[in-house]
Formats: sequence, C-alpha cells, structure tokens
Amino acid sequence: MTIIDEKNPETTSLSERDGDNLSGAPRSASVSGRRRILRVAILAFFFVYVILTLMPFYFLFVRTFVATADSTDMWWWLPPEEEVNMNAEIGNLSIFLNLDIAEIKAEWGIPLTEYVEPRWDLNRISEEYDIPLETIRATLTPFGRFNGWIVLLGGGSGFWSSIGRTAIVTALGVIGINVLGIMTGSALAGLRFRYQRWIYAIFLVSVVIPPFLLLLPQFLMVNLIQGVIPGSQESGLVREVSQLAVLVFLYIQGGALSTMIFTSAIGAIPREMEESAEIDGASRWEYIRHILLPLMKVPIAGLTVIVLPFFWNDFLAPFVYLDPTNTTLQPLIQSFVGQYTTNFRIVFTGVFVSILPLVFIYIIFRKWFVAGVMEGAVKG
Amino acid sequence: MTATRQKVDSEAASKRKPGLSARQRKRNKQNYMLAAPQLIIFSVLTLIPLVLALPLLFTDMTNFKDLQIDFIGVDNFTRLFTDASVAADYWPALIKTVRFTVFNYAMVFVFGLTFALLMYEVGFRGGLFTMIYLPWMVSGLALGFLALMLFSESTGTVNLILEEWGLLGDPINIKSETGTTIILPILVGWKAAGFNMAIFLAGLLSIPKDTVEASIVDGASYRQRLFRVYFPQMIPSFVIATIFALMGSFKVFDELAAMGGLYQNDAAEFLSIIFFRWGFTQNKLALGMTLAVMTFVPLMIVAIALQRYQKHATTYQD
Repeated sequence: MTIIDEKNPETTSLSERDGDNLSGAPRSASVSGRRRILRVAILAFFFVYVILTLMPFYFLFVRTFVATADSTDMWWWLPPEEEVNMNAEIGNLSIFLNLDIAEIKAEWGIPLTEYVEPRWDLNRISEEYDIPLETIRATLTPFGRFNGWIVLLGGGSGFWSSIGRTAIVTALGVIGINVLGIMTGSALAGLRFRYQRWIYAIFLVSVVIPPFLLLLPQFLMVNLIQGVIPGSQESGLVREVSQLAVLVFLYIQGGALSTMIFTSAIGAIPREMEESAEIDGASRWEYIRHILLPLMKVPIAGLTVIVLPFFWNDFLAPFVYLDPTNTTLQPLIQSFVGQYTTNFRIVFTGVFVSILPLVFIYIIFRKWFVAGVMEGAVKG
Repeated sequence: MTATRQKVDSEAASKRKPGLSARQRKRNKQNYMLAAPQLIIFSVLTLIPLVLALPLLFTDMTNFKDLQIDFIGVDNFTRLFTDASVAADYWPALIKTVRFTVFNYAMVFVFGLTFALLMYEVGFRGGLFTMIYLPWMVSGLALGFLALMLFSESTGTVNLILEEWGLLGDPINIKSETGTTIILPILVGWKAAGFNMAIFLAGLLSIPKDTVEASIVDGASYRQRLFRVYFPQMIPSFVIATIFALMGSFKVFDELAAMGGLYQNDAAEFLSIIFFRWGFTQNKLALGMTLAVMTFVPLMIVAIALQRYQKHATTYQD
C-alpha cells in the first residue's frame, strides 16, 4: 500500500514485514529494496505506454503531409518539399491536388472567364500567358506539402461551417442536459416518494437500451415530428435549424447519468437550507436559481466533461439526421473518403484537425476531466 | 449516512401518506412539473418509438417513405430461418459482432483492470491518468481512420515499421476479419483504457484501507490479496465495466464506417452495419427492426439483470 507508505513510516514498516520471513532485519531491507524496484518498474511501464499512446497522434500529423503516392514508404518525419514538375498537365494537377482553379487564375492574372486547356502543361501555360516560371513554382509549391491543410482550411471543403455547427450543437447539448438534469434532480432529490423512485428508474432504463434497437424506430418518430413542421421538407433555413434541433434533443433526452449525478448531489444538500430559504419567502424557483445553482458547480463540471466527448464526437446521429450539405464534423470527414479518394492527405488532415479542439480543451481542463470521470465511476 | 437517512425518510413519508401536508402536496406538484420536460422528451424520442414500432414488426414496410404497408404475420421473425439471403447477411455479422465483443471485453481487463491495479500500487498520479485517458477524446470515426493508418496492408504505419525492422512475416490487414475482430478491439481498448481504469480504480480506492493493511500484516501474498480482498470488494466495478463493454461492443459503428463497412469492406459488416443498411438503404425496414428486436432484447435482459445484481451487491448506493 504505497499510497500510505510515503506519508506514514509506520505503515511502511508494517508492509515491509510481509512475506514469510518475520525474523531478520536484513531480509526486511531487501524486501523494501524489491518494492522500490517494483515501483520503478511500474512507472517505467507506464512511461513507455504513454509514449506509445502519443505515437499514433504523431504519425497522424506526419501523414497529413504524405502524398497518397508516397504512402507506401515509412515517414518518420515530414517528407521533403516536393519539386513542382513543370511538365505536369494543369488538369491532372487540379484533380490530384484539389486545386481551386478560380483562385489560381486570379493569382496568375488569367481572366476568370478564360478557358484554360486542361491538357496544357505548366511550361505551356507559362508561355501562353506570359507568366514567369518562378511565379508558377511559387504558387504551386505549398500545394504539394501542405495540400491537405490548404484544401481543408481553404473553405471549399465545408470544414469551417461544419465545425461551427458541431460547436453550436455541442454547446446547446451541454447547456440543455445540465438544465434538464438540475430540474429532474431537484424533483427527485431524496427519492422519498414512490413516484420519485419510478421516474428515477425510467431514466435509468436508457442505459440498457441498445442504440441499434432504437435507431430505426427513433428515425420513424423524428420523421413524423419533422413532417409537421412547415418548411422542414424543402431545403432552407427552417430545415437546417430543425435538423440541428433534433440533434440537440437527442443529446439531452435520456440522461441516466445526469439524473444520477444531480439527484444524489441535490439530495446531499441539507434540507434546512431549502426550509430557511422558504421561511425567508423564496419560491421554489428562486431557491433553485439563487441557492441551488451556485452549489452545483462541481456536478455541472463533472457532467460536462463526461458528455463533452460524446456530443463533439458523435457520428451516427448527425450522419442519419442531417443533410450532407448541413452536417457536423464527423460525417463531413467520413464524406471526404468518397470525395477525395485520390488524396489521403485531406482525410488525415480532417481527422487530425477534428481531434485538436477537444484535446486542447482536455489539456486545459484536465483536472476537471480526471475528477469528473473518477466521480462518475464512483456513481456508476 | 445519506442512505440511512433516505430510508428513514421514505418510511416516514409512506406512513404519513394519507395526510400529506399542504406544503408537501404543493412540492409534489412542483416536482412533477420539474421532472416533466425531460420525461416528455425522453418518452417522445425513446419510449414511445419503441412501443409504436411493435406493430410494424408484423408488416412488410420496406422504407421510411413506404405507405403501402401490409400485415404479414410473423414472417419477419421466421425469415431468418427460411430466407437464405437474410441468413447469409445476419449470421456472419452476428459471429463477427460476438467475436469483437469477446476480444473487446478481454481488453477491458488487459487495459483497464491491469492499469488500475498497477496505479493502485504506485499511488494515484494525476499526470499519468491524464495521459492514459487522452485517447478517450478521439472519436470512434477517427479511431477507425487511425486503425487504417496504422494497420492498412500496404500503407499502415505499424506494418511499415515492422517491415523496416525486418520483423514482419505477413503484413497485418485491418480490412480482414482478424483486423476487425482482434486488432480493432485492441485500439478500442486503448481508447477506453483511462475510462475503464477509472471504473476499477474507483472500486479499489473504495476498499477500506484497514482491510488491505490487515491482509498485509497477516502475510497474504499479492495473489491472495487480489482474489480474497480486492476482487470481492470490486464486484460493482466489474459489473459496470461489463455492462459498458457489452453495450458498447454491440453498438460499435463509427469505427466500422470509417473502415468502409457501409460500402465495400465485408470484414467490417457487423450487426450495427447490417441493421443500418436494411433500414436506410436496402428497403428491409420492418425486417431490420424485427431482427434488431430478436438480437437486442436478450442483450437488454442480460444488461438489466446485471444492473439489478449490481444494485443488490452495492446495497443502497446512490
């Protein structure tokens, strides 16, 4: 029991006496030495594991720069700058590098309306439009190595709007599940009455409903409800908003975890607190708003850090309920596979960038995440 | 403490039930109002659909736009045994899903339990925990793409490294059945390592220190401590981890979708993929819902039994 060992020498001497030899002091010293070696070995093991854990992220980063054609080679570090091949045909380049032709034309001073023969190679283009070869090289060079990043972040991929939608839906989901959780929790706190225990049990059911049992019936139901909303059948703002609203409602509905967390947290508050507020003339609502809410910071943080990855990373619900033109991050990245079949870099860049925001939030609030998951694990 | 108070309270409450005070009656009404919004949303989106779908199991509904629905009795239930094409889709998918589940469940112990026991020995370390928990932030879809990146036959990083070091016999192929039922569970186990570790660590840390010390003083070996002291008191953790692994394995979808399960990768056709396709793209909606019921109702019963067993084992924990 090392947790006690360090602080408490008495316990150390107790644990050192383990094993079958109870007589000699030298033996005791050797056992203690063995324990220290064991500790170091365990920490070394964890150290190696942590390094291994980080490797996939590193290789994913490297892959965002590796062209599909080079991907059968092992790249330990970023591949070198690619030389622009002046004999390459502009049409092929625009396909393989997913170039935005309008932008390229603007950069080279070719009128937008001008038809550029896709079979012309770069040398020919340089001659025809009187553009120095250096300019062409300078424009196209970054598209080699940074192709994935340029295409992803450049706007044509729909990345920014989808990350915006993901952020909105996640934020509303987090707010919604906390608000509903506090309401449900304060309704059920104490679990003193039969109806309270029944409602509690109903919410707990959501843990054991297999999602793929629910998927098709739920879709049927959502379809029925959406059919009633005027304007949700034609593409437009109403449709987009109603689809995103469906997503938010799906996230905040079940809440076995939120119910468990808030019911027990609110139940642990001394009843005198509410009674004295009542004597002072506070209504139930005022009590919840001004006294309960400030006390709920820790459970709110705990619930938030647990649900955040689920909402941000959700694929199935947006894949099923949102139009592909109006989707969140995960389905968008999935769609890259079909859209950029010849360009792995974009797919891997999309995957890498989609992980980043959550990892940043995780690193910043790591204390909360660790406390939250440990707390959640205790609640079970 | 709270548990005892609640128990006393609830007894008191049920005793004075006939004559509830006006205040308590008002409170109860407020309680209903407070619980109503979430209860209504939950009913509309989960409970009612499950009930409404029941009659559809006995029809030939083909897709969500299908209005010409005819009653066909229990055909959907028997087609698994009479229709060869249905059987050819379903049984291999079930076998793959079960294989995945078994390996995935094993990984709960390989990663979660082992790490929890090791960390218990060296003391809880926040920094270490943070790093082990980090992959939990990776989405299922991204995990599928990571699997492709690491274990694709000709472009997988692990394959390329092993090749460079001359350690490779045959390249690992993630798009094979071995890939989806053995390699993928390892990656899922890696992702969930911190999560499962938290479950087991919470169980370990809840064991009274006196018990552990007493067993050490009495000269119990580590193995004896494991099986006589730790595990018996960690039963709730084992049950929770089992429920999560079971439910999680049967709903795995995102990873498979990333690996092409929805179009060309046969090895990634698990039950989730099959039901999805029958419902959304292959015009077998009623059949899909029926087989989902046949597959998942037993699973639900197991999960509920486990949940009740855990309630029983913990005796009055919130």
